[in-house]
Amino acid sequence: MATAPKAKAVREDLLRVEGLTKIYDGAVKAVDNISLTVTTGEIFALLGGSGCGKSTLLRMLAGFETPTQGKIYLAGEDITHLPPYKRPINMMFQSYALFPHLSVWENIAFGLKRDGMPKNDINDRVESLLGLVQLTKLAKRKPHQLSGGQQQRVALARSLAKRPQLLLLDEPLGALDKKLRESTQLELVNIIEEVGVTCVLVTHDQEEAMTMASRIAVMSEGSFMQVGSPDEVYEMPNSRHVADFIGNVNIFDGVVEVDEPDHVTVRCEECVHYVGHGISGNTGMSVSVALRPEKILLSKNKPQGEFNKGKPQGEFNWCEGEVIEIVYFGAHTTYHLKLASGLVIKAQELNSTRDLSCGLTWGDRAYAHWSDLAMVVLTQ
Amino acid sequence: MTKILSYLRDLRHGRTVVIGVPYLWFALLIAVPVLIVLKISLSEMETTSISSMISWADGWPTLKLNFSSYLFISGDTLYVQTYLSSIEYALITTIICLAIGYPFAYFMARSPKHLQPMLLMLIMLPFWTSFLLRIYAWKTLLVSNGAINNVLLALGIIHEPLAMMNNSFSLLVGMVYSYLPFMILPLYANLSKLDLRYLEAAADLGTSPFKAFWLITVPLSKAGIIAGSMLVFIPAVGEYVIPELLGGPNTLMIGRVLWDEFFSNNDWPMASSVAVVMILLILLPMALFNKYQSEQAEGKA
Repeated sequence: MATAPKAKAVREDLLRVEGLTKIYDGAVKAVDNISLTVTTGEIFALLGGSGCGKSTLLRMLAGFETPTQGKIYLAGEDITHLPPYKRPINMMFQSYALFPHLSVWENIAFGLKRDGMPKNDINDRVESLLGLVQLTKLAKRKPHQLSGGQQQRVALARSLAKRPQLLLLDEPLGALDKKLRESTQLELVNIIEEVGVTCVLVTHDQEEAMTMASRIAVMSEGSFMQVGSPDEVYEMPNSRHVADFIGNVNIFDGVVEVDEPDHVTVRCEECVHYVGHGISGNTGMSVSVALRPEKILLSKNKPQGEFNKGKPQGEFNWCEGEVIEIVYFGAHTTYHLKLASGLVIKAQELNSTRDLSCGLTWGDRAYAHWSDLAMVVLTQ
Repeated sequence: MTKILSYLRDLRHGRTVVIGVPYLWFALLIAVPVLIVLKISLSEMETTSISSMISWADGWPTLKLNFSSYLFISGDTLYVQTYLSSIEYALITTIICLAIGYPFAYFMARSPKHLQPMLLMLIMLPFWTSFLLRIYAWKTLLVSNGAINNVLLALGIIHEPLAMMNNSFSLLVGMVYSYLPFMILPLYANLSKLDLRYLEAAADLGTSPFKAFWLITVPLSKAGIIAGSMLVFIPAVGEYVIPELLGGPNTLMIGRVLWDEFFSNNDWPMASSVAVVMILLILLPMALFNKYQSEQAEGKA
């Protein structure tokens, strides 16, 4: 899933946040006791819905908000109370905030001029940045004469101009349309890699976080729910909330029936799950089983029990239901299956041939089945 | 089909009526009076009436244009000086209004959202009293035995009354006081729309708040500065009431000259010429303003 290389070898911590808390109006906890470290060269994503506190956290890193409690260290130095214009941190703003009265060139040179850099050096730096983001020809344009994608590249060049130790990206692709976003994601990561700057990025778009970041923190109500690499967060969510937030998921509620070191079974109303690995729980415990739609196979006939590990045929990892909805996406099709219990599960089938081979239609009875390593048992 | 066509026709008629109303207004109350003034300025004063521009000689109409008033204005240093000093007073008024109005509008735009309507109300409040009354009120404040002098004398700060009345000081006080709201309102409208993220971006790029004000806030409020300055400068040039009531013998302003020509000298062609020249003087900055605005609009398209 991730295209960004994972943080290489052992690198020093660049950013360290300790117990950061922001309370608004004496009551609303926007950010609640967050600690994190970001190592040099890493792209760290804060992922969450609106109002989860990710933007407040980013704004505290930039210096636009003063933390109620906690400390922020950059390269070992306490910057908690440093004003934004004294921090070696630059930010790419949501919808860019390019200065409308200045040209592309002047926008990029803005921060360098404030530093009193010699004119020739400014020229060289701006020219090389324009080359990097491929906007050399548009240097004299004003921001409103550029397309969304071009504005985004100017904003990136402007935030990189001062060679910040830490680059903050606030919804970097939020203002672009879907098609452009996909190509820009990779371009953005490539430029960041080329410059070698450490990034903290804020997004509500899980795809953006997955493709760009080497590590993701899933946020909710001011706290981190889970921190991990994109595949960890997707394949091994640690809670229902994370499983639900990242991608689509079917959740079965059940009770642990067999708890062995190498396998467990979970009895649910709909079916019995045979999980091919041990869990940190015990028999009789109430758990949730999360199962991603793309890991479910559909068939018209009763499955042959290939995942049943020598158990009585057909006991584990399948259920029967009625097809109530078919959503065609082109590359895949999502079937909504209504089970006897009333639970509706989603199954995603790859359209690997052009004659939609599954052959299921509305109202059909269908069997869903899945492997013993397809699901995650969630204890919270 | 015919129904649709007749509907469209109706729509067109409706549009003509709607657009026609303001045009009629402009024609009757602006174009016609200006043309009349222009006509009078090119006529000659006969003892009790104004000469007719078209005379009938030998059965042919002859157009008689009399430019003597314009020639007189351009030749007489008093008129030239009066125009110059009118523009000077108007300019000084504009600059003082800007200097007071900008911070005023800035803090209004930055004050808590729920306070802003009240602050706007306070700006508008003086308009509830007659303009003339307010100017008279300044008179009682500024005269040598007026409130300000009395207080200062009583406190022993000064030993003889300050000459604050009937000179350029009282004139400028009156002008600035009267025109300040016209500077504040467009500036406030502009500054309250300023996207604060630009200032954050500037801070992020290493700009102190003071520098960011000059590099970001001021350039981005240029349209408001120009609009406010025009609203103050243009009426200030032709102001009559304030120089008449608060001005003195040395504060020459073209409005008073106009009044004298009309009512003391009864020389209507001369008065009209003075007015036409004044309109031209005002049109020039207006034209510049419009040109700037259309350039702005073009840039945004």
